[in-house]
Amino acid sequence: MAAMLPSGQTSHDMRIESDLIDPDGADLDDLDDPLQPSNTTDRTPLTGNIGQAPSSSSSRNTQSYLSSQIPGEDRRAPTNTIDESVWDTLSRDLKAVWGKMRQVLWPKYLLGGMLVRGGGGVAGEAERGEHSGANAGAIRDVLGRWPDADTVLQGSMNEGMRDWDLWGPLLFSLLLSFLLSRGAQDDQKAAVFSGVFAMVWIGSAVVTFQIKLLGGSVSFFQSVGIIGYTLFPLVIAALLSSFNLWMIARIPVYIVLVAWSLAAGISILGGSGVVRNRVGIAVYPLFVFYVGLGALCFIT
Amino acid sequence: MANRGYDVVVDVDAEGDLGHTDLQEDLEFHSSNFEDPQNRNKIQPDTASSFLNNGSSTRGHTSTKRLLWTIQFYAQFFDVDTAEVVKRCWAALYPRANFLDVLEGNPDLYGPFWIATTVVFILFMTGTISWKLASSGVEHYSYDFSLLSGAAGLIYGYTLIIPILLWATLKWFGSESANLLECWALYGYANLIWIPVALISWSPISILNYIFVGIGFGVSALFLFRNLYPVLSATDVRTSKILLIVVVALHAALAIAIKFLFFS
Repeated sequence: MAAMLPSGQTSHDMRIESDLIDPDGADLDDLDDPLQPSNTTDRTPLTGNIGQAPSSSSSRNTQSYLSSQIPGEDRRAPTNTIDESVWDTLSRDLKAVWGKMRQVLWPKYLLGGMLVRGGGGVAGEAERGEHSGANAGAIRDVLGRWPDADTVLQGSMNEGMRDWDLWGPLLFSLLLSFLLSRGAQDDQKAAVFSGVFAMVWIGSAVVTFQIKLLGGSVSFFQSVGIIGYTLFPLVIAALLSSFNLWMIARIPVYIVLVAWSLAAGISILGGSGVVRNRVGIAVYPLFVFYVGLGALCFIT
Repeated sequence: MANRGYDVVVDVDAEGDLGHTDLQEDLEFHSSNFEDPQNRNKIQPDTASSFLNNGSSTRGHTSTKRLLWTIQFYAQFFDVDTAEVVKRCWAALYPRANFLDVLEGNPDLYGPFWIATTVVFILFMTGTISWKLASSGVEHYSYDFSLLSGAAGLIYGYTLIIPILLWATLKWFGSESANLLECWALYGYANLIWIPVALISWSPISILNYIFVGIGFGVSALFLFRNLYPVLSATDVRTSKILLIVVVALHAALAIAIKFLFFS
């Protein structure tokens, strides 16, 4: 059966393997071996790849350990990554960060697509409306479609963040720390840098733990990753601050940016299983986190 | 009552006390699940099956399995919902009843932690604005980052450490009812008054700031005093007086520190 294989190198390997492994003992593991797609037993149908086989065998051998073929583990790296330029590697990762960022922050996906569905928040009286009455109602009228607890819970997590990474959080926390430390007093630049960096990471960890403690079943690093990606509007705010934007003009702009971050960050709660009457206190830590960082951008 | 032919005679006295009957021996080994935090849950966790196997045997079993490093262990300290937190905040600002009654034996750490965090950020912000207004002549004012670490150290430290000291002192003097979580909740919700105080005292007018901080101190000290007095009076008169004075003095120290660190 090894004779079916066209390439000499591979057939040699196969012969060794078939000597070592008792054919009767061959089970599903042998069939599913992804590194040897042309593995055959008596039961596999005869599939032909005679034409391109000799040329592809060497590349297949390098692929087996230089690039991952396991689905979900790669970052859009289908081919051999040893030959490509450094820029290709970097740009692929940057593109992955960009794609995830767009998924988290694009208004179409905000709050788990809630803004597209629209309007559903006004109809159902949220838990907030029951307790703080007219005040919250007035605010909600101003905001138009203020999402209620059910809508937040029904929003599904962004599909792209199912395979999370921490590149975006790292990038944005470094950028935020750098931009904010530039505006600090001369003798406090190091303290501001480390302080903001620690605040971002400890804050996102604390917020995630708070959601878990309130009964939500979120994946820890996925949540930290989403919070990190939603720092992007705050990075814009810090950038504007470093350009010495006029103080009065900052107020509306920064409020919008913080609200954008918050709306994106709430999508963590989508499908997390937080009890409906706890959504308010699960959102509040996120609110404090974003407003605190936004305030820091504001006064810089 | 004719008591012939009965095995057990229940002697109900004037207070309805069953303590002197033969039933006492039967009751002896029944483990009390009165302290079990699961029984105080108002919100059942999402696994709705807990209604079904509600028996005390499974209860005792699961509660021993809540180890110190599992997240379920800490989740019992955050067993509140939004309405409950809002109610407690109102009870802390406008105290009508004893706050420990408002807690209903279910003190949470959510309020203390996030109220403290909010107070830290608001103190930092308004402190910065106050400093900026005070130094309006300066061309380019940049904020003082040490205000943030100062606020964090002050508020977190005060809210974390003083209740521990208070609880340890109460335990030392043999108080049975002292509860560390309740002390934390008490001090944490007492911090709430600093949010409105900080929001209005950013102005550079010194006399206004004294008045506002004084109001904040008065409200929170009264709140602490009212709620700690029944607990502290479990000890003898002299120590309870000393403890109350110490508590109020430490709180005054906090108020003075807030005044001079942030609004001077």
